[in-house]
Amino acid sequence: MNDAVGDVLDEHLARARSGERSALAALVQAHQRSVYSLALRMLGTRDLAEDLTQEVFMQLNGNLASIGSNKHLGFWLRQVTTNRAIDQLRRRARIQLTSLDDEAPLFSDSAEPDHLLQRHLRALLSELSAPARAVLLLRFQEDLDPTQIAATLNMPLNTVKSHLKRSLDTMREKTAGLQPLRCEDNSP
Amino acid sequence: MSNDIESRLKAALRPVAPSTQFSEKLVAQVCAGRSMQMRPRRLAAARRPLAWWLSASLAASVLLGIGVHQHLQQQRLQQSGLEARREVLEALRMTSQKLNLAYEAVKSQSTPPADEKSGA
Repeated sequence: MNDAVGDVLDEHLARARSGERSALAALVQAHQRSVYSLALRMLGTRDLAEDLTQEVFMQLNGNLASIGSNKHLGFWLRQVTTNRAIDQLRRRARIQLTSLDDEAPLFSDSAEPDHLLQRHLRALLSELSAPARAVLLLRFQEDLDPTQIAATLNMPLNTVKSHLKRSLDTMREKTAGLQPLRCEDNSP
Repeated sequence: MSNDIESRLKAALRPVAPSTQFSEKLVAQVCAGRSMQMRPRRLAAARRPLAWWLSASLAASVLLGIGVHQHLQQQRLQQSGLEARREVLEALRMTSQKLNLAYEAVKSQSTPPADEKSGA
């Protein structure tokens, strides 16, 4: 997010705090993609992800006064989303990730060369522990550095680094035999 | 390969947008400041603690009722026991009195008058 967009969202935040609904709507629209994606990849189903996204934004509505900037808002949303998702995962023994298959079809006509590998990576992600999954998502989906991840998850920096290393090692090991695949159109 | 897996992860984990329908509903509901109508599945899950509490309260009430009933019954038994004991003691006291009277009567009849003794 560049500075200009950040400034606009800072203004939206100030106006939303004073009760302007259109500004709040703009903030929700700006951040819903990130919150929903985190929720989806943490919890694994669209229904649960939508419910969590809704809960997070409803909580935001009651906490707007305590949020100082758009940057802080992003941090707050990621923190609340991941913490709530980790809590949910801890309460449930196992989450089935069937609906993630809908996210990207197995065979696609798009120019994306390695859908199968990406699906495999997402499946591997779903096998990680909840904190490790959150660390990986914040690193590779939200593009945060380990220090920011540690602050978001309230986790020691070394734990974040060790989660990253172990998860990446596991993924490398399990995808070693896979090459990027492209579904060629063999139809006559 | 090390950077390869990282770039592939970034590609695999690109943020996805929620459905337009959900997005519109979310914005509307958040701005209105009220929660969306939950799906029945989630509603059932949300009601589960309430149902648990109701069941627990009901069970606790039944147990409390049984306890109170047993306590009162025991008190009644104890009361009737005490009453019976009091009655037995009273009966014993009265029997003792009667026996004393009988003993006195027998004793007075069996003792010869003093002039009879001297005349003999």
